[in-house]
Amino acid sequence: MVRSALNRILGMLVVMALVVTIVFVIVRVTPGDPAAVMLGPDATPADIESLRERLGLNASIPEQFAVYVGGIMRGDFGQSIFLNMPVTEALLQRTEPTFFLTIFSLLIATLIALPVGILSAYWRGSIFDQAATTLAMFAASIPSFWLGLVLMQVFAVQLGWFDASGYGGPGASFAERMRHLVLPAVTLGLISSALITRFTRASMLDVLNDDYVRTARSKGMSEPRVVVRHALKNALIPILTVIGLTAALLISGAIVTETVYGLPGVGSLIVSAVLRRDYPLIQGALLVVAGLYVLVNFIIDMLYLAIDPRVRY
Amino acid sequence: MKKMALLAATSVIAFLSVNAAQAQTKGGVIDVATIGEPPTLDPMASTADLVGIITQHIFETLYTFDAKWGATPLLAAGLPAISEDGKTYTIPLRTGIKFHDGSVMTAADVVASLERWTRIATRGKQAGEVITGITATDDATVTITLSKPYAPLVALLSLNNAAAIVIPAANAAQDPLESFIGTGPYKLQERVPDQYIQLVRFDDYQSLGGEPNGYGGARNQYLDEIRFVPVPDPSTRIGVAVSGQYDYVDQLPVESFEQVSGGATEPVVLAPFGWPVFMMNTKEGLNADVRVRKAIQAALAPEDMMLAAFGSPDFFSVEAAWYPESFVWHSNEGTDAYKPTGDTEAAKALLAEAGYDGTPLRILTSRQYEFHYKMALVAQAYLEAAGFKVQMDVVEWATLTKNRADPALWDIYITHSPFLPEPSLMGLMSDTSPGWWATDAKHAAVEAFNAESDPARRAQLFVDVQKVIYDEVPGYKVGNFNALAAQSPDLDGVTPAPWPYFWNAYVTAQ
Repeated sequence: MVRSALNRILGMLVVMALVVTIVFVIVRVTPGDPAAVMLGPDATPADIESLRERLGLNASIPEQFAVYVGGIMRGDFGQSIFLNMPVTEALLQRTEPTFFLTIFSLLIATLIALPVGILSAYWRGSIFDQAATTLAMFAASIPSFWLGLVLMQVFAVQLGWFDASGYGGPGASFAERMRHLVLPAVTLGLISSALITRFTRASMLDVLNDDYVRTARSKGMSEPRVVVRHALKNALIPILTVIGLTAALLISGAIVTETVYGLPGVGSLIVSAVLRRDYPLIQGALLVVAGLYVLVNFIIDMLYLAIDPRVRY
Repeated sequence: MKKMALLAATSVIAFLSVNAAQAQTKGGVIDVATIGEPPTLDPMASTADLVGIITQHIFETLYTFDAKWGATPLLAAGLPAISEDGKTYTIPLRTGIKFHDGSVMTAADVVASLERWTRIATRGKQAGEVITGITATDDATVTITLSKPYAPLVALLSLNNAAAIVIPAANAAQDPLESFIGTGPYKLQERVPDQYIQLVRFDDYQSLGGEPNGYGGARNQYLDEIRFVPVPDPSTRIGVAVSGQYDYVDQLPVESFEQVSGGATEPVVLAPFGWPVFMMNTKEGLNADVRVRKAIQAALAPEDMMLAAFGSPDFFSVEAAWYPESFVWHSNEGTDAYKPTGDTEAAKALLAEAGYDGTPLRILTSRQYEFHYKMALVAQAYLEAAGFKVQMDVVEWATLTKNRADPALWDIYITHSPFLPEPSLMGLMSDTSPGWWATDAKHAAVEAFNAESDPARRAQLFVDVQKVIYDEVPGYKVGNFNALAAQSPDLDGVTPAPWPYFWNAYVTAQ
């Protein structure tokens, strides 16, 4: 168990080193210039040049890379060019909406997907199953910005139940801020529920035909007990994986939804950082997102070990 | 229906300005939806309109623009006394003006601020090329000396982007600016990036007396607070305009006019707002040949381009003069080369004369502003009809601002701007701005224009500048377009302006 964990951690470090390098390179080869964006449309080339110098953008690429990696080793992700604050601080400021948005979306997705997936598998081929499968297919194909705008149009613009944009003004209470997350969470929850539903159904179908399920039934056990205690428990590993990956996906996948709803989260921070070519911020944010992915994967792997003693890495 | 609604919207504006003197109440908080988070809150450090819109409430300049776009004193006590030779500007200052930190503005603060402006602001550096000295003659007078007469100086001192704001001398060394201490009617309370910028009334503000006059005159502080909230997605801005979540929503796509009319806020049309321009690379490539540029000028059909870009003639007008009638700079002289429906035959002849060899004409544009892209598509069709081979380089905005600085990369790039109150501020007036237009004819016309300080004679001299522009085609003005915003029926006293401002605004129902 300990050996397996150590192996995984070693692998994680290699992945993160690759991420650091790739992100740095991608950001540098993308055309565009933070100095030009910052100075506005009428800036002269000389102004842009002097700002580039001040921002350290005129140093050679290997030199910039060395500074960057050196900083990361010391836990310093650099200074955001536009926000004029450390990248870690900028990211921390944005974690609240993204964190709760991820939790709520996941909750909505799971609450829809688990029952629907289980019942679909149980009543395989029924009208319920067909309807659920079709709907899941449909939900998986909806672009999040479109669903976001439709929900906004209906519930914010027409019905006026929620605000269409923002995260509350100065002094907004926690409850008020959370209210702003309802529509985005439903948007993301509905879309993510599709994948989880399909995995739950497939996984349940596998185990429902297994011998031990038949045995449980022949012992005269009640159907709900068979499904939940025996079948679901064994079907859980792939479902857990997909829930974990969805969580990781939501952290970055909220990019579009956060922008549509004007939420000051990590996703919208990444969008504005890219549009402004705020190199340190793009690098820091992508590193954090990649880190979370890797971490979630690690946790899932560890859960496997705990759930299924046969698993070894 | 649309016509009626538009008429109603325009009359709302007229009604507002008539009623401005009545029933103002103190108090209230308004939320203003902007197009995004400003790159900085230092108006010296950026030429972006968004920076100017927000910071003009916090910081003030020596001069500003009145309703007719003439310069009018703000922190200065009067217009400058200009010496006979046009090289010495003596500026009297208002006294007893307080900064947000409680200190009193002196001539030393003004000198330090103006020096900072010539050091770091794009427009300040432009002026700095002719400024030889900025000195405090006494506590309430500042003298600016020039190496040669430079009439645009007062206009440059009045503008709100790359602005000559006055800050305490102690802060003038900051770059980037860290203390946002100004003299404006509202002071910065809190900034949470991408969430809100909160401004509150500055109680020690001393407004000029009399009536409001454009950006000048009295600045009444009816509102307790103004909050600028970024709503970067245009579809979301339409949504919040219809739902009435914010009191003012800036920069809506004009085609959403009808949708907004049916909602909780009222549409506000600013007509005309500005010009879209095709800038020509006069330095390298195809467009280094003036005959090719003239062929482009003949080929383009602005009527179709504007229609494609803005959807309905309600939202644009096709006009050759660089400035519309509401400006003193307006004149139709020398604009015959502008053909609303294009002149393909003339373009073909010019192209043949230039000995065009089929090298693709590269149009650099982006979809950041969808109307740029739509205009480019129509332009492409007309240019191809005239015999051009056209290559569209559609990139995203940050890439465009980078690539346009390299003369090897493009022949035309598309941009737009609100009508600039002073023609010297136009990009093509500078030899170094992308396009690099620098000919003897230009220099003769522009220098005469810049040297003249009499406003009436300057208007006449601008006609010569406009003639040279049509003659040498460093840029092609496509037409005039309108801007659309939305405001709550409870919000009054907002005058439609290219850079909306909210002093003098008040809420009628709370």
